[in-house]
Amino acid sequence: MSPATLGVIGTIVLVALFFTRMPVAYVMTLVGFVGFSYIVSGSAGLKLLARDFYDVYSSYGLTVIPMFVLMGQLAFNAGIGRRLYDCAYAFIGHIRGGLAMATVAACCGFGTVSGSSPGTAATFAVVGLPEMKRYGYGGRLAGGSVASGGSLGMLMPPSVVLIVYGILTEQSIGKLFVAGIVPALFISVLFILAISLYTWLDPSQGAAGEWVPWTEKIRSLSKLGETLFIFAIVMGGLFTGWFTPGEAGAVGAFGVLATALSRRTLTWPGFVKSCFETLRTSCMILLLVAGAVIFGHFLAVTRLPFELASWVAGLNMPPWGIMIVIIVVYLIGGCFIDALALIMLTIPIFFPLVESLQYNPVWFGVIIVLVTQMGVITPPVGINVYVVNGIDRSISLGDIFIGSLPFLLALILGTLAILAVPDIALYLPNKMY
Amino acid sequence: MGTFEKVLDWLVKLLRLLGSLALVAIMLLTTADVVMRAFGSPILGAVDMVGLLAVVVLACAMPYTQMERGHVGVDILVQRMSERSQAILDAVTSTVSLILFALVAWQMWLYAGELAAKGEVSMTVQMRMHPYIYLVSVCFGVLCAVLLLHVAQFVGKAVKR
Repeated sequence: MSPATLGVIGTIVLVALFFTRMPVAYVMTLVGFVGFSYIVSGSAGLKLLARDFYDVYSSYGLTVIPMFVLMGQLAFNAGIGRRLYDCAYAFIGHIRGGLAMATVAACCGFGTVSGSSPGTAATFAVVGLPEMKRYGYGGRLAGGSVASGGSLGMLMPPSVVLIVYGILTEQSIGKLFVAGIVPALFISVLFILAISLYTWLDPSQGAAGEWVPWTEKIRSLSKLGETLFIFAIVMGGLFTGWFTPGEAGAVGAFGVLATALSRRTLTWPGFVKSCFETLRTSCMILLLVAGAVIFGHFLAVTRLPFELASWVAGLNMPPWGIMIVIIVVYLIGGCFIDALALIMLTIPIFFPLVESLQYNPVWFGVIIVLVTQMGVITPPVGINVYVVNGIDRSISLGDIFIGSLPFLLALILGTLAILAVPDIALYLPNKMY
Repeated sequence: MGTFEKVLDWLVKLLRLLGSLALVAIMLLTTADVVMRAFGSPILGAVDMVGLLAVVVLACAMPYTQMERGHVGVDILVQRMSERSQAILDAVTSTVSLILFALVAWQMWLYAGELAAKGEVSMTVQMRMHPYIYLVSVCFGVLCAVLLLHVAQFVGKAVKR
């Protein structure tokens, strides 16, 4: 049997094992280890296990992740989301669907202190949902806007997905971060347009809120202060080269902690909870990375990714056709597997291909985040939808999935636009680096 | 079973505390380093220390994450099975995971010994690395104990009635 065939068999076994509910990270480790041992040797496989785990845990680039997770957790427990929401509400709450729009805008803002999309969705399921329900919003629009708006958390820097992508493909994380900013704003605008279209077609879903006088509006701007301050420090420090992405996370977490303590918005139990949640989330992510690294080493010895790349190159398909195929694979895969797991699983396969087609790797990173965003709001395993439903049981899963549809369309449109005009993502990083 | 569960629970919580302390230490140490650097006197070896503290964070978080069942899995198919079949399947996959991580713990222990013999140290301030790798090995050991507890629970569920 040729190694490439073994690679294909390994991949099939991997997918089959996923459906036993065994954690995705464990399955990747298991299949990677067994496959590598089979091709190279048992003792080499055992050595690989210890080395890969230790290398991932001690990788300086990856120490970034716990710090950015901690920053988001602290921001959540310190009520920063609520303040952002209040400000957005003051400005656009009075128009039709305005509360949903305010949720999207606040999600976009919260994305600057949070790197994860379920984290952002959870924040606004607590903050935005009760407000929308108070004004008689339909469950679909309310749930859909929180689940979908939450997905902006991983596009707006900092972004855990972009960090992992950057490490796996050896791209500059700073550059990836900058590349996410304009697309995040662009998608937010599309989301807001989707809401206004939705409420125009079905006004019962989103009634207008109260008019807030201008003096109040101006006063509410002060609630943006801490977020702007933290974003300015983190991004500013990164771009001026004062500190590295790893340090930016720690400084950001400290910044959130310091502002929260000075405002007395963070309690001791809130702080402890932030730490424990950070441990859990970081461990989940890093075990996924370790599993992907081990599985990637197995794939590398089978030479499957390279054979696949040369096979596709021989097809004489236009590059954009291949890109569409890759995106469809992510869309379908994203329906079944957790988004981050899917990315880590497929990067060793797709990245050589994308590189051989001479696509810009930074731009591809943004595209990957966009399709991942679609994955978190599509059934059956749209994690954000489950998060929202987990916090507010009164809105059914089905309603949130249906309510997310207009946003899914907006995301698809946005992705097509960025596919056609890569400069939406690349203009800023090219200008700054 | 009662005492095993209690001791394990205590151990997992102890590691969780240790991991949280390391997490806060990374944040404070890095921030201090960054601020001091602006005044031209960075903390020597801060980068080395943060790297090793991150190992502590991640290793200590493993048993806790397993205890909370915080890992993502695909359950759309399994959900449709009967309670008993689910328990049997979970018992099998947990046993496989247990064997896998026992191997990792064992190999990690050997790796630590190897580095200790070679006298491997960190890059800038020559801190010894092997104690941290021993810690990782121990944490994988505790993870196995948590998996063993879960296997026992699943088997218990499968044979009930």
